[in-house]
Amino acid sequence: MATAYAGRLLAAMGAEVVMLEPIQGTVLRNAPPFLQETGESALFAYLAAGKHSLVSDALAPEWPGLLDKALQSVDIFLDDTPIHERKALGLNEEAIRERFPKLVHVSVLPFGSAGAKADWQAEEINLLHSGGEGFLLPNGLSNEMFPERPPLKIYGHFAGYQGGSAAALAALAAWWVADVGGGQYVDVSVQDAVLSVGAFALQRLGDGSLEHRHTRRFRYGGVFQTKDGFIELLTLEDRQWGALVELLGRPAWSQDPGLQNPLERSRRGDEINAHIREWMAVHTAEEIVRRAQELGVPAGKYRTPAEVIQGEHERERGLFAPTRLQSGMQADVLVAPFQFRATPLKGADWVPAIGEMRVGCLS
Amino acid sequence: MKLANAPLAGVRIADFTIHAAGPFCTHMLSQLGAECIKIESLTRPDAFRKPHAVYGRMSAATFDQVSANKLSVRLNLKHPEAVELAKQLVSISDITAESFRPGVMNRLGLGFEDLRKIKTDIVMLSLSSCGQSGPDSHFAGYAPLFGAWGGLGSMTGYSDGPPVEMRHVMDHSAGLHAAVATMAALHQRRRTGLAQHVDLAAREVASAMIGDALIQASVGDTPVRPGNGDLAMSPHGVYATSQPDRWLTLAVRNDSEWHRLLQLLGRECNDQRFATAQGRVQYREEIDLLLTQWLANCNGDDIAKRLQQVGVCAHISWNMQDIASDPHLRARKALVEVSAVDIPPRLAVGAPAQFGRTDEVGIRSLTPALGQDEDYVFGDLLGLTSAQRADFQAREVIL
Repeated sequence: MATAYAGRLLAAMGAEVVMLEPIQGTVLRNAPPFLQETGESALFAYLAAGKHSLVSDALAPEWPGLLDKALQSVDIFLDDTPIHERKALGLNEEAIRERFPKLVHVSVLPFGSAGAKADWQAEEINLLHSGGEGFLLPNGLSNEMFPERPPLKIYGHFAGYQGGSAAALAALAAWWVADVGGGQYVDVSVQDAVLSVGAFALQRLGDGSLEHRHTRRFRYGGVFQTKDGFIELLTLEDRQWGALVELLGRPAWSQDPGLQNPLERSRRGDEINAHIREWMAVHTAEEIVRRAQELGVPAGKYRTPAEVIQGEHERERGLFAPTRLQSGMQADVLVAPFQFRATPLKGADWVPAIGEMRVGCLS
Repeated sequence: MKLANAPLAGVRIADFTIHAAGPFCTHMLSQLGAECIKIESLTRPDAFRKPHAVYGRMSAATFDQVSANKLSVRLNLKHPEAVELAKQLVSISDITAESFRPGVMNRLGLGFEDLRKIKTDIVMLSLSSCGQSGPDSHFAGYAPLFGAWGGLGSMTGYSDGPPVEMRHVMDHSAGLHAAVATMAALHQRRRTGLAQHVDLAAREVASAMIGDALIQASVGDTPVRPGNGDLAMSPHGVYATSQPDRWLTLAVRNDSEWHRLLQLLGRECNDQRFATAQGRVQYREEIDLLLTQWLANCNGDDIAKRLQQVGVCAHISWNMQDIASDPHLRARKALVEVSAVDIPPRLAVGAPAQFGRTDEVGIRSLTPALGQDEDYVFGDLLGLTSAQRADFQAREVIL
């Protein structure tokens, strides 16, 4: 997953990315969720858009030759082969360095390729929790409603995406110095990446506070149910509090002089939230958000994927590109989570079939 | 630590970013060796220098991860001469990074087009809630709003519950993606000699985390919120163990792993509904009930290790104390101990990857005092004399 996302980010930015797939295809081709009409994997379509597929059977006699041919022609090699399988396949660090000294060889494994857990296996749910963030979810309203339930993972492959981003960053950084000192081996761990983006909780621990999902919540603000959905509201600055009071219509409770003090507001957060909830419940998300943003109150609707894909803002920014899936069906696929304004990204318009690229096409 | 053997040694960043997402980006790049000059002012210091009551922090942070490794200078950007000094810093930097609301840098005279005039090959990162264009570009927001707007929040949650708000991981994920794009822009500059403006909308990073669900929605399907469940694996979830609040995360991918799990737990399961992966997924609620019973009296840490020994994906749901105590993370330098004169030893997050050759990556210095590096930056780099700097300070250009 993480490796596929790293390649996807690089492909989105213009790199030619070739997936070396076994004959039956990568497991991601059969990973949920699936599209109802065609049965194909939406996850694979997302991760493989704009890449090429070259079939390579690691057990076949021609494997070493094919691997050498492939690696001779590339700048960056992303590999998530389990560590104990690498030597037999000629994919271990030393063998690659000896044969391809200019190559940036990025290893991406759940717990990294070095250390006591290098051979541990993990899926997304394990990784999100091994990096600390899983334990802290859900927080806020969901935790208030279901305090006894088990911790909850973030949708999809959040941990894998962080690992993939770290791998892409590390690959580009190593490539930056490849022309002066040659290639190198880079060891990326998805667990490390999850911890990295969760650094604030580690910082809080250093400050003497062990975060827990039951207590990790904003003193006031958070998730609110409106007449027709949910919104997020968060006021961190004094001026935003003033604007929130304005949004709520300056109710009598908000005029309490004590609430002018941010520390006092923090102490009386539950009381404030009770008032806000009452008000939210009788207004629609759209009217709340529109007025809130006019006043400078940070507020946003919890949008469904359908609302995002049809979003006026996203459309105007060209976040999605029409893409032909393997089945021939057209879908809108997210181009990239960043834009290059001087040279806009176009987005890929294909998802590769297995083995659509031939060995002879390797330049 | 010398910079000579880090991958981004010699790369300099003029860093106008504030709060969490933007600073995380430049912090990551600084961990890889870039020299990062953080530009603030006494009148508009970054958030970590102030109390943060909503987070329950009643004083300034003593250590701020995302400001580590950075040099600090003061510039009062409301003063035209400070803007000119800022431009000089940009002109000697490879990257300029900012995370104000769209329009602020333009109003200051520090927009992309202004800066390109003084540095024709500038790489500029603008990180914001909603991006530099589009009808919502003026929207203010923080991490939970990014998740709400981007769709990740609504897809996360118990199936019968409200959406879940994303916290700092969302900020930092935006920063990490920004670092990727900024690195790519640097490569592009090296290849073409041309300027680039990277525009990262944090809400679009949240959308990227649900890229599969967005494809479903685009063809008219309705993505489901799976909670802890998985559409292909069962058992798959977070299960209570014999110790309070000690949860076991478990993901069984195939029949072989299912049988290994049964064997390790000393259980038999003759229910034909559960004989295949498809059946176990179909009857996942029953499977979860079974696992809940079986694991209720197990020691979670012990069972996780033993499951890993037989190749089953398992891990305890770790809190930060568990992480702080983990020798694996310390051995990898993902977790490093840091200290300074006024900061007792504490843990921080290390470099995002381990490099075989350019291996001097990581944290070199901790949270800078406001303006502590002005001798080097204003004196050595910009060539200002002591008298000039004193004059700028007297007139609150440097403030």
